[in-house]
Amino acid sequence: MAIIQASRAPAAPTLSSSASAIEVRGLRRTYGRGPSAYEAVRGVDLEVAAGSITALLGTNGAGKTSTLEVIEGLAPATGGTVSVLGLDPVADRGTLRRRTGVLLQRSGFSGDLTVRETLRQWGGTLTAPRPVDEMLALLSLHERADVRMLALSGGEARRVEVACALMGSPELVILDEPTTGLDPESRRAVWRVVSDLRDGGATVLLTTHYLEEAEALADRLEIMHAGRIVRSGTPDEIAEGHPSTITFSGAEDLPRDLAGVTRIVRDHGRTTLETDALQRSLLDLLSWAQHHEITLEHLDARTASLEAVFLSIADGTEPGSPR
Amino acid sequence: MTTFSPRRTANLTRWNVVLLSRNRLAFFYAAVFPLLPLALLFTGDRGDEALGARTITTGFLVASLFTIYYNVLSQFVNRRDELVLKRMRTGEAREVELLVSIAMPGALSTLLVATIVVPLAAALGQPLPVNPLLYAVLVVLVIATFSAFAFWTAAWTRSAESAQLTSLPLILLASVGPMTSSIPGMSDALRELLSLTPGAAMSDLIRVGWFGLDGPDATATTLSFAETGSQAAEPLLVLAAWTVIALALARRSIRWEPRT
Repeated sequence: MAIIQASRAPAAPTLSSSASAIEVRGLRRTYGRGPSAYEAVRGVDLEVAAGSITALLGTNGAGKTSTLEVIEGLAPATGGTVSVLGLDPVADRGTLRRRTGVLLQRSGFSGDLTVRETLRQWGGTLTAPRPVDEMLALLSLHERADVRMLALSGGEARRVEVACALMGSPELVILDEPTTGLDPESRRAVWRVVSDLRDGGATVLLTTHYLEEAEALADRLEIMHAGRIVRSGTPDEIAEGHPSTITFSGAEDLPRDLAGVTRIVRDHGRTTLETDALQRSLLDLLSWAQHHEITLEHLDARTASLEAVFLSIADGTEPGSPR
Repeated sequence: MTTFSPRRTANLTRWNVVLLSRNRLAFFYAAVFPLLPLALLFTGDRGDEALGARTITTGFLVASLFTIYYNVLSQFVNRRDELVLKRMRTGEAREVELLVSIAMPGALSTLLVATIVVPLAAALGQPLPVNPLLYAVLVVLVIATFSAFAFWTAAWTRSAESAQLTSLPLILLASVGPMTSSIPGMSDALRELLSLTPGAAMSDLIRVGWFGLDGPDATATTLSFAETGSQAAEPLLVLAAWTVIALALARRSIRWEPRT
């Protein structure tokens, strides 16, 4: 998967130049007590700049949702401090709820209400709800407005949840896997909605399993593993220092002095060259192949990618990542 | 700091009523079932006050157990299991508003039954309540007690299906007093013990507050408005104590998400 720089979000607001919408220090969250206790969050520090999109990435069980639930005020922290829009998410929950929109990873609806009724019900609990028809149009739900919730597909129900999260025009939006279960078209539509939120001045904190989603949307990434944040920065900063790769099959006896190549890996007839100078290495490789009349099959060249970093964190080979 | 919002609560209640009306069985339990015992008013001697007290007590018992208790329990457990409550808690509605709005359809239905039964009973030869204030207090306490018991029971109810089982102890506790009150030869100690159950307190308050019946064996109105006050003190205290206990249990045990 090549990183398409043009589709990436605008330059990241830096923490030093922006006020923080969310500040988390030394957050810990433990489930259960005694010998069976499980510490899901183990000292997380996190800052989300106002007016930015921050993506919280991580493998399953990394602690993302546990972290978000504390930020949302739905669960108490075992340790550490959390400040959301300058307020305590538990003690000031009533005030914060007017200013935040939350999309849970898993939630539900009363199946006997229609989509329109569900939005009217939700809107009736908000101080300043956006019109129902506006939300239906925003999430492309107008054709399903009078269908009962129990008859919706998973993706459609997810879009209703997104509509609820955004209906109160929140200044801070917390989205836990907003596009899970959506088809590619709907996913892109939600991306546009999220980008528009940021462009309108809102702050967005989201989690996702889709790395291309994080790269396309987020100004800043926080990668969690085993209850800790192990890498932070812009997508470029995070990928920095990781090698680009050239992969092919059909050539065995490669010269040892290809420009920029730092490592050669062979696996099931496929060769991967890791390089810190992708263009020079590729040029060198193609010249060599042409000179020896060798066909490099399934040739693929990639810049250093977030995926590579993510996978190295997940398998514990990333320096500093807990195993 | 945000306070309890009647507007939000009324909105949520409205949609809970809509949902109730779309579930035929739940609607039957909530709106029709408590009216059925009142058919007994059409039988027997018109104006038989002891029969009237028994019939109206049965109507109240059915309303408190099915219209309020079982209805609130099943609605709460259903919405908790479907993760509706979890989602609703992310919005502006306060937790107490969510709870009140779930209890309100049953409460409104009970209020309606409690109101309808007065002219209905009068039309069928029964007296009007001797002490309407006592009657109103009884209705409020019954709604609060059995709603709170429903939220407490929900804490140890895994699913809407298992509510059929977990609701039995409370149904038994509430029914045992009124069901055994007419058994002859019961020892005073046992009768005294049974009078401490919420159903018995409810029955005593109806006998005293509505019918002015003096004692468990009385069959005709003898108490005046003023006398009902002192006679009702003990059952009123018992029911109020149950209300406090139920509210305290509910407050300590509310669970908003299914057990994982």
